[in-house]
Amino acid sequence: MAYVATRGGERAIDQSERLYRAGLGQIDAARVDEIRRALPMLIDRVMGEASLYEPDLAALALAQAGGDLYEAVLLLRAWRTTQPRLAIAEAVLQDQLFTHRRISAAFKDIPGGQILGPSLDYAHRLLATDVLRGVPFIPTAVDPASVAAPAHQPSLAAWQKAQGLVADPARTDVAPDDIPDLTREPLLFPAERAHRLQSLARADTGGMLALGYSAMRGYGNAHPTVNELRLAEAEVRVRHPRGTVFSAGRVKVSQAEVTSKGKSGLLELGFCATLGWNEVKVISGATLDLNAPGAAKGSPVEEEFFLYHTEPVEASGFCIHFKLPHYVTFQSSLDALRGAKAATPAAPVKVTA
Amino acid sequence: MTLASLTKPWEAMSYGFLDASAKRELRRKMLKAIAVPGCQMPYASREVPMARGWGTGGLQVTLTLLKPSSVVKVIDQGADDSVNAASIRSFLSKVSGATETWDTTEATILQSRHRIPEERLRADQVLVLQVPNPEPLRPVEPNMSVARQMHADADYGRLWLILYEQIVRSGRVMQGAAYPSLVNGRHVMTPSPIPRWDVPKLHMAQHLTFLSAGREKRLYAVPPFTRVEPLVFSDVPYQVEDHAALTCHRSGVSGYFMNEIPQDDGSSAFEVSDSHLGIKTIRQAEGAAIRIGPTWYENGKMPQ
Repeated sequence: MAYVATRGGERAIDQSERLYRAGLGQIDAARVDEIRRALPMLIDRVMGEASLYEPDLAALALAQAGGDLYEAVLLLRAWRTTQPRLAIAEAVLQDQLFTHRRISAAFKDIPGGQILGPSLDYAHRLLATDVLRGVPFIPTAVDPASVAAPAHQPSLAAWQKAQGLVADPARTDVAPDDIPDLTREPLLFPAERAHRLQSLARADTGGMLALGYSAMRGYGNAHPTVNELRLAEAEVRVRHPRGTVFSAGRVKVSQAEVTSKGKSGLLELGFCATLGWNEVKVISGATLDLNAPGAAKGSPVEEEFFLYHTEPVEASGFCIHFKLPHYVTFQSSLDALRGAKAATPAAPVKVTA
Repeated sequence: MTLASLTKPWEAMSYGFLDASAKRELRRKMLKAIAVPGCQMPYASREVPMARGWGTGGLQVTLTLLKPSSVVKVIDQGADDSVNAASIRSFLSKVSGATETWDTTEATILQSRHRIPEERLRADQVLVLQVPNPEPLRPVEPNMSVARQMHADADYGRLWLILYEQIVRSGRVMQGAAYPSLVNGRHVMTPSPIPRWDVPKLHMAQHLTFLSAGREKRLYAVPPFTRVEPLVFSDVPYQVEDHAALTCHRSGVSGYFMNEIPQDDGSSAFEVSDSHLGIKTIRQAEGAAIRIGPTWYENGKMPQ
């Protein structure tokens, strides 16, 4: 009967998905490999937001999603959450990082030196249009420095602490199993320090920039100065069940520390770190962290506000959910609207003189 | 001890997709939710292979409840064949081996977005409602930390105030779906955006209802035989949608919640929103041996 005609749901969604995937074509190991090698910054961004460090899987997710970042992050998060948590790595300390780039805007020079490392900061952003005419762009070789930069660098904040310029809260050592894990526990407010930093680490880069930028423009309380920005590799040191501590490999990490003069007469610090190299994200995140203490409820620099609204999987999912049918709720509102209209006597018609 | 002894042979995914630690957390939170009816329990809310806002909260609860002998029904806006309902239902059966059904009376677990079926649910059935926004106080207090404190203090004055203001401005309560309701005389909950028509079905019901918001990481429950009372003033009675007299143009049933279908001539046709009730009515009229279960509403009225 008539109802049978409406039973198209399952076939329709199947065909719709086929149509999308047909547009992407065959995905093979070569494509995934090319994405991984050609787009390291994008891979880093996706790995950071997914909080999963696996460049091959990140490249695969990007291939499957056709480059849709939110889809790629969701693919990786959904895969990640089902994986067992085998071990908890040792804490990574600043001066143990294998540092590629380390700069400070707060001082002309800093103990350990300013290390520019790889950067486009001072490049002229000109499109190499010759490439499209068949002339490949071949990067000019790097001249090695006469003295190699030291692989390990002290943290600038350690020097500031020694100078009595910043507050130096006592470090508490937490047993690895007691470190709060945002991926296994709900985020509650006021958030634990670990939860806030974990949430910032996996936040949406664009969302964080928007809110961080609003604080930088003046909607925050504190103007950031980049105390230290680092791109580095961190050793992942885990304990084997037999007790030996070994390195399971290295991951690329970025971190930013921003500072401003606080009311206490000391410098205040904001911090953000993430997997992969993503400077815009960590500077924005550190700015939000710096501005959060004492922020008014509902302001963009209040932690509840910025942590909820920069969660990429939740924000993008809710945004696209508005495509789902809402006719029952709409019907319910319509009923109230008509009921009110029927009950209201018609307004007298104004007669113009 | 070896690494191998700590693990198990590789499998593409756990039974019911979620791993054991996720299910354990959910079960604990679900039990807490039953113990404190209507009170929102925060949970980690793992990512699932579906976008947030598309039923991931309901999905996690359902995945935790499923077993191979389960019979599962999924509806969206009352319809089993709605695209997202079809997608969720096929995922549920694929990862659990549960049987799929469209028939409310056959299901052991019903996951739903925005509707409660018209046929009465029994004590051996569990209803899982997908919730976009679990916080009834959101319209008056968007900050979740503050809202949590207000629940703790049973501070619901501002909710009553907006209802009062609606009556003053519009002559009636203007709340559409998701009507705020007091559970067990203590916690105000949002019953998810079900129409006002469906809220009385939760009151002193035989079945257990879970309401779960994946994106917002909150779940709550209405246990069997629990009071669910819409917030109303004693002199302004609760009003369900004016659908009692409408007739479905396809199946001919009347006295149930309807979808309005605008017509070219400016009028409206109506079809029953609980789509499988419509199908069963049609098939019964054609002579098929179809059993329609007792419904909550009788002749368009909910018996008191």
